[in-house]
Amino acid sequence: MTPSKFYTVRKKVTNAVMMSLTFVATLIAIIPLVFIFYYTISKGITYLNLDFFIQMPKPVGESGGGMANAIVGTLILIGLGGTIGIPVGIMTGTYLSEFGNNKFASVVRFLTDVLSGIPSIVVGVVAYTLIVVPMKKFSALAGGVALGILMIPTITRTTEEMIKLVPHSIREAGLALGIPKWKTTIRIVLRTAWKGIATGILLGLSRAAGETAPLLFTALGNRFWSTKIMEPMASLTVYIYDYAKAPFEDWNQQAWTAALVLILLISILSLTFRIITRSKYKTN
Amino acid sequence: MEVKISVKNLEAYYGKNKVLKNVSLDIPKNKVLAVIGPSGCGKSTFLRCLNRMHEVVGGTITGSIMLDGEDLTKGDPVLLRKRLGMVFQKPNPFPTMSIFNNVAAGLKLNGVRSKKILTPVVEKCLKQAALWDEVKDNLDDSGANISGGQQQRLCIARTLAVDPEVILMDEPASALDPISTTKIEDLIFELKKNYTIVIVTHNMQQAARVSDYTAFFYLGELIEFDTTTKIFTSPAKKQTEDYVRGRFG
Amino acid sequence: MKNHFEQEIDNLKTNLIKMASLVDEQVERVITALEKGNIELCKGIKAKDLEIDAYDNLIQTQCENILALFQPVTVDLRFIISALMINNQLERCGDIAVNISQRVKKTAEFFSLISEAQIIEMGKHAREMLKNAIDSFINNDSDLANKVIASDEIVDNLNKHTFKFLVSKMQTNPELIEPCAHLIVLTRHVERLADHATNIAEDLVFYVEARIITHKKKLEKLSDGN
Repeated sequence: MTPSKFYTVRKKVTNAVMMSLTFVATLIAIIPLVFIFYYTISKGITYLNLDFFIQMPKPVGESGGGMANAIVGTLILIGLGGTIGIPVGIMTGTYLSEFGNNKFASVVRFLTDVLSGIPSIVVGVVAYTLIVVPMKKFSALAGGVALGILMIPTITRTTEEMIKLVPHSIREAGLALGIPKWKTTIRIVLRTAWKGIATGILLGLSRAAGETAPLLFTALGNRFWSTKIMEPMASLTVYIYDYAKAPFEDWNQQAWTAALVLILLISILSLTFRIITRSKYKTN
Repeated sequence: MEVKISVKNLEAYYGKNKVLKNVSLDIPKNKVLAVIGPSGCGKSTFLRCLNRMHEVVGGTITGSIMLDGEDLTKGDPVLLRKRLGMVFQKPNPFPTMSIFNNVAAGLKLNGVRSKKILTPVVEKCLKQAALWDEVKDNLDDSGANISGGQQQRLCIARTLAVDPEVILMDEPASALDPISTTKIEDLIFELKKNYTIVIVTHNMQQAARVSDYTAFFYLGELIEFDTTTKIFTSPAKKQTEDYVRGRFG
Repeated sequence: MKNHFEQEIDNLKTNLIKMASLVDEQVERVITALEKGNIELCKGIKAKDLEIDAYDNLIQTQCENILALFQPVTVDLRFIISALMINNQLERCGDIAVNISQRVKKTAEFFSLISEAQIIEMGKHAREMLKNAIDSFINNDSDLANKVIASDEIVDNLNKHTFKFLVSKMQTNPELIEPCAHLIVLTRHVERLADHATNIAEDLVFYVEARIITHKKKLEKLSDGN
């Protein structure tokens, strides 16, 4: 065998081995995901019916019922969180990327990183101290603030990164047309980066939707129908937490269904975002 | 020769680095001035000083630049950039905007909303940029989905839409194929009837083909400024001759 | 819309045509003066030649600029080269017209001698050749150019005949030596005029057909001889 032939064979073998390794790694990564879906669906499907979406929880002992209040509660809570987290996140991210060439900005960047590493329960405690204690009342507002704070780092960093990806030439084009810098940033740069930023927002919202810990001190939970933001409010995650640890078989089953509904909610949210932000134009 | 822009003792700095040294030059009205020179000679900086785009990347200048007797180095750069439009090396249409909105962007973002005003302006500018016939049926398509040469003409149309007096071009054809390059060059020849044009180019042949006057820069200094025919047939300075003959250094 | 380069080429061609018509007029006048023995027609020829000289310089500069600025290739390059060559030929034709006019002034009273020596016929031929050469250039007509090239021989033969005639005249009539000497020089000029017309035609063929036909016959003879 000539040396060159030998190397060709060796190259081919190496290539095949590496390919199979990456394939196996991918499989390993997918397996837990498949299991999660499988369990949630197979266990949660029992109670997944119209009642679950339109009925209120039944008292202990009575079978059936739903979690209409918790589904609406979760939506309101992430809505509140988004109202706080999205603007703050986008504006901070924009500031960091467009004007962030100074000491203050690096401090902000560092704090954002720290914030993203803080356990969510700590954020819950903060919201508790800041809102629940002075108002002497658990409330959806406090829950929303906690979720909002949790979203900020994700949205900030994604916004910053996505804006940085917008070519400098696009900014120059705007400025050279005699468009002021702030307008160029908002109307041209942000618009160009919008798709990526939307992904960041979605990640932030999804994360918030799945949080339990910060809600325990803030929105608390509510077994009754309530859409008042100054009152305690039900949420799917808190229900999952309560029902899963309850000694009733019936409730345990409903916890699985609540988990399934949460996954569905996030999927729908994700899909809606994709459709909204889908470019008007074919990309090639 | 009627003077449009008069540059006197212009010096430009990036930080402490002096990139233009005592440049004085009169840019003639309704003519094409080509700025040539090897990489790093300051020709792009010179162009950017004219509409103060050098400030965007942190440059500073001393000296004066007079546009029709008005000092450009003072006042609001945003206002002056409407008078001195700029076309860049790489075509940079706004990717999220349609062809129509790309051309209308300068007006729209400065408060002109009425379609009645915008539509004829867009049509006129696309025609001036020799692009109308190619895109008139697809005005709602993305500005990023046309060919590179078309994108560059779109960028020229976008610049024309703000009704500038001067058009600054920074190597406008260096990223394009020969046919698109010819189209841009023919366009420049047409546009000089209504605009004063300053074009920076690496390509000496291009400078020769399109310009009426040529300025040769080397190491931040203006070595020679004269009519293009003079520069390309019998320049006064040996450095200029060596450069245009392609025997530099 | 014509592009920049096309406009420059058009401009060059226009100047060449203007120059050619000036030359054509000059030659027309001196040949008519020769035919009719009319010295009046020779007035102003010299002054007019300055205009032709000015065109000569202008066209040379234009060609230099186009070569420097546009670096033309293929047919465009051949056009510039042929323009330079034709420009040169036309300028010489202009000078020849001046020279002929001077000789006409000196020999006008020997009209019968001129006519006997077939100089008038020769002049008509040369004049016709130049006119056709210019027309072939204006219309890019290589057929006409080839006709011009073919008719050069007629003028050459006439020239030989005239020369012999004038020499024998001088031998038999010594009192005619001076006018005959003038006429020999004059016929020499007319013969040169035909040569320049031929050259213009050859340059045109080079431009249109991209082949060099100058000296072709002589070179072929040479290689046949070997």
